Amino acid sequence: MSGHHDLGGTQADAPVPRGQHAILPWEMRVDALMQLLSDPKRPGGALISVDELRRGIESLSPDEYRLLGYYERWLQSLIAVMAEKGVIERAALERRVAEVERAHEQEHARRGER
Amino acid sequence: MSLEHAGYDRDAELLERAFRELLVEKGVVSDAAVDERVEFMYRRTPALGARVVARAWFDPGFKARLLDDGSAASGELGIDIRGLKLVVVENTPLLHNLIVCTLCSCYPRMLLGLPPDWYKSVEYRSRAVREPRAVLAEFGLHLAAGVTVRVHDSTADMRYLVLPMRPKGTDALSEAECAALVTRDAMIGVALVGSPKDVL
Amino acid sequence: MTPRFNPGQRVRVLDKVTVGHVRTPRYIRGKRGVVERICGEFRKPEELAYGRYDGEREPLYRVRFAQREVWPDYAGAPEDTLDVEIYEHWLEKSEDKR
Repeated sequence: MSGHHDLGGTQADAPVPRGQHAILPWEMRVDALMQLLSDPKRPGGALISVDELRRGIESLSPDEYRLLGYYERWLQSLIAVMAEKGVIERAALERRVAEVERAHEQEHARRGER
Repeated sequence: MSLEHAGYDRDAELLERAFRELLVEKGVVSDAAVDERVEFMYRRTPALGARVVARAWFDPGFKARLLDDGSAASGELGIDIRGLKLVVVENTPLLHNLIVCTLCSCYPRMLLGLPPDWYKSVEYRSRAVREPRAVLAEFGLHLAAGVTVRVHDSTADMRYLVLPMRPKGTDALSEAECAALVTRDAMIGVALVGSPKDVL
Repeated sequence: MTPRFNPGQRVRVLDKVTVGHVRTPRYIRGKRGVVERICGEFRKPEELAYGRYDGEREPLYRVRFAQREVWPDYAGAPEDTLDVEIYEHWLEKSEDKR
């Protein structure tokens, strides 16, 4: 962890970019997942704290931190912390990602896209 | 978005779906709960914060309670703030407040909704604490000489909302009409609330 | 837990080497300010970040700094200030009368 997130005072003369992207449904779902997983009132108690989410984000490499989008960083952190705690297993996630990708490609082929 | 050069070749949207499917299958979350939470977040907009601001303009007792305990006072208006620990900071003719989170992007989401991309940018997070007046100037806000700038870095558990000054030309407006003038940017501190003629 | 510091008290942010998650920004370490308010008691982010949810709470302070104290080349007005939330274990009394 190299403190590359600790940005106060680190840049000068770089204009604040004012563009705004339309938030995507998957991004809203990542935000929702964090809220649900961190809710102390959920059955069994919170599975993650805001602090763990931040720590997971800060643990990304400087390149990842810089290149990943905001909610991509959240998603990487959520996965890392849930895997740490054994809530999910990375191997199972990889298998599921492959299945989801296959289903996605088949759907696109059916629709005649690309 | 894919990032082959960072070693990422997975579409984040598909990754989210796969992750959520596993969590649902394990009974950790339900799709219904995710949908409900998404709908809840879509309903969080700056109009909620604007109601708080307008009430403070019209009710000095409320304003005093708001400045003392922002969470409790917001709750008085029936707004679901869900554990938000709110500090409200008041702009005056001699003091202008600006909010930032240099370490991540903490933001009073329950009152303003999701933060704009610029608030989360490396440039804003790094420069707002160090050269706030230059940042404000980029947003078109040039403060009068003699106005002190106070920056709030949300480093811990509190979230901040700026109580902007009530603009001129609003004496004849109702509380709801005043609320309609209050912008998200004014409640972050990169803008003032414009007079009615400015808005039109 | 009785707060060690009171509003109005001069304090200095510790400047320690850290490993892992902290919420004290580097730019404020070693700087002197004044306690503006006690925000309440909260658990340490250094512990929460690693799954320890049951640690002891401690006071969290809002500390006000003069910008020209924080940045040697600060170009704004001399009275401009910066408020930062600092956990008690990151603060010490500042005897400096300035």
